[in-house]
Amino acid sequence: MNKGLTDEIKVEVIGLTKKFGELLVLDDVNFTVRKGEFLAIVGPTGCGKTTFLNLLSRLIPATRGQIRIDGQEADPKKHNIAFVFQEPSSLPWLTVKQNVEFGMLIKGVRADEREHRLTRIIDLVGLTDCAELFPNQISASMEQRVAVSRAFATSPDLLLMDEPYGQLDIKLRYYLEDELVKLWRETGSTVIFVTHNIEEAVYVAERILVLTNKPTTIKAEIQVDLPRPRNFIDESFIEIRKQVTDLIRWW
Amino acid sequence: MNSETKLKDPLSLKIAPWVSVIGFFVVWQLLIDTEIVPRILLASPVEVGKLLIDKLTNPDPDGAVLMTHTIISLIEALLGYILALITGIPLGLLMGWFVVAEGLARPPFEMIRPIPPVAWIPLAIFWFGIGITGKVFIIWACAVVPCVINAYTGVRMANPTLIQMARTYGASDWQIFTKICIPSALPMVFGGLQIALALAWTTLVAAELIAADAGLGYLITMGRRLLRPDMIVLGMIMVGLTGWFIGNIIDRIERRLTAGLERGGAAT
Repeated sequence: MNKGLTDEIKVEVIGLTKKFGELLVLDDVNFTVRKGEFLAIVGPTGCGKTTFLNLLSRLIPATRGQIRIDGQEADPKKHNIAFVFQEPSSLPWLTVKQNVEFGMLIKGVRADEREHRLTRIIDLVGLTDCAELFPNQISASMEQRVAVSRAFATSPDLLLMDEPYGQLDIKLRYYLEDELVKLWRETGSTVIFVTHNIEEAVYVAERILVLTNKPTTIKAEIQVDLPRPRNFIDESFIEIRKQVTDLIRWW
Repeated sequence: MNSETKLKDPLSLKIAPWVSVIGFFVVWQLLIDTEIVPRILLASPVEVGKLLIDKLTNPDPDGAVLMTHTIISLIEALLGYILALITGIPLGLLMGWFVVAEGLARPPFEMIRPIPPVAWIPLAIFWFGIGITGKVFIIWACAVVPCVINAYTGVRMANPTLIQMARTYGASDWQIFTKICIPSALPMVFGGLQIALALAWTTLVAAELIAADAGLGYLITMGRRLLRPDMIVLGMIMVGLTGWFIGNIIDRIERRLTAGLERGGAAT
C-alpha cells in the first residue's frame, strides 16, 4: 500500500516555459513525479498555478519544454489524464451515477468494468444514496465529490486537481480531504494537487512544490513524511506548515 | 406567500374575464345591429356563427368546407415547419461547434436572413406555382432562421468548463459535440421551436392570401373578393384558433421532452 517505496518516474516535466505574448508566466520549470505519488503544488495567489495545470493537462500548448508521462510526450488521447476543476463541472443533464461514469465512457472502458468501478467508487465516497439524483439536487460539496469520483473512476495515470475544495467550508474540507487520501490509496493514482491553502497541502501531500511569483519557477521542494491520518495540530505538522508558509511569504 | 400576492376577492377574478369577453361580443353585435358600423364593412358575431355552421358542410362559394381549408393550412404549415427543424437545428448545432461549418454556412445565412420570408412569395410562385410546394418552401425559409440561430447560440453558450473537462478526459471534437454541446443547447433549441412555429403560421397566412387555391388564408381572400365580411372574419377566427391549438400541442410535446432536462438543467 505504501507508494513511497517505488522510485519509478511517472511524470517528467522538462524546461516547461509558457509565454502569453511577451508575458512570461512559467519560466523553465523542471520536476518529476513518482508513480503513485501525491504531490501538492502551492504558491502565492496569481502565480500561474492554473496555467501550470492547464499546461500539464494539455489544455493549452507550452511555449517550450516537455511533459512526459511514462517516458512519452503527454497526450490526453493516449494517456489517462483526469482533471478536477475548481468550479462545478458535473453535467446537469446526467444523474450523479451517469456523471461519475462519464470519464470512463470517454476513455472507452468496457461496460462490465465500468459497472464494477462505478459501484466501488460510489460506495467509497458515499454517493450511493444520491446516485440517481441530478446535480442541481445535491449540495456543492456533493457535486465536487462527483467530479473527484469521476476522475478516480478512470484510474488515471495522472490526476490533476485545481483547488477542488477551494469553495467549501473548512470542516467539510477536512472530511473531503480524508476521502481524497482514501481514494488515492485505494486506486494508486498519481496526483498533482494545486492549492493556495498551505494547511491543505500539508494535510494531503507526500511532497510539496512551492512556486514563486510570476514568472513562476519552483522555489523549493518539501517532503512531508508524516504518518496518516495526519493531525493538523500536531507539532511536526505545524512545523512543516510554517516552513512552507515562510517560503511563500519570503518574497 | 403565493396566496398573499393573489387578489383578495377571487370571485371577481373568475367573473371578470367572462364579463369582458361577453361584453366584447355584445358591443360588436350592437355596433352592427344599430348600423353604426355598416354591414358591408363588418359582419356581426351571429352572422359569423351562422356561416361557421354552414361552412362545416357547404363547400360554396369558395370551393371547400371549413375543415378542408384548415387541414390544408395545417399540412402546409407543419410540413414547412418540420423541414425547417430537420435542416435548421443540425445546421445550427454544427455551426456552433465546428469552425468549418460556421465558416461555410454563416456568410450565406447572414446574407439571406434579413430578407423577410414574405418577400420570397413571388419567386416561390414562379418556381413552384400556387400549390402546396411553394408555401412549404416559404414556411421553411422563415422557420429555419430561428432554428439555426437558437441551435447555434445554444452550443455557443455551453459551459466552457464542461468542454475542458471532456477534453482532459481525451474526448474527441465529435464526442464533445454530441455529449456536451448538443445537450447544452437543447433548452435554447426548444425556445427556437416556439418562435419558428409562430413565424411559420403568420407567414403561411400571408402566403395563402397571395397565392393559394385553398387554405384559411385563401378563405379570407375569397371573402374579400366576394365582398363577404362574415367570411373574412370567420377565416381570421379560424387562423387564430388553429394557431393557438398547435401552439398548445407543441408546448405540450416540448414539456414532455424537456421534463428530465428541466429537472437536471434548470440549476442554480
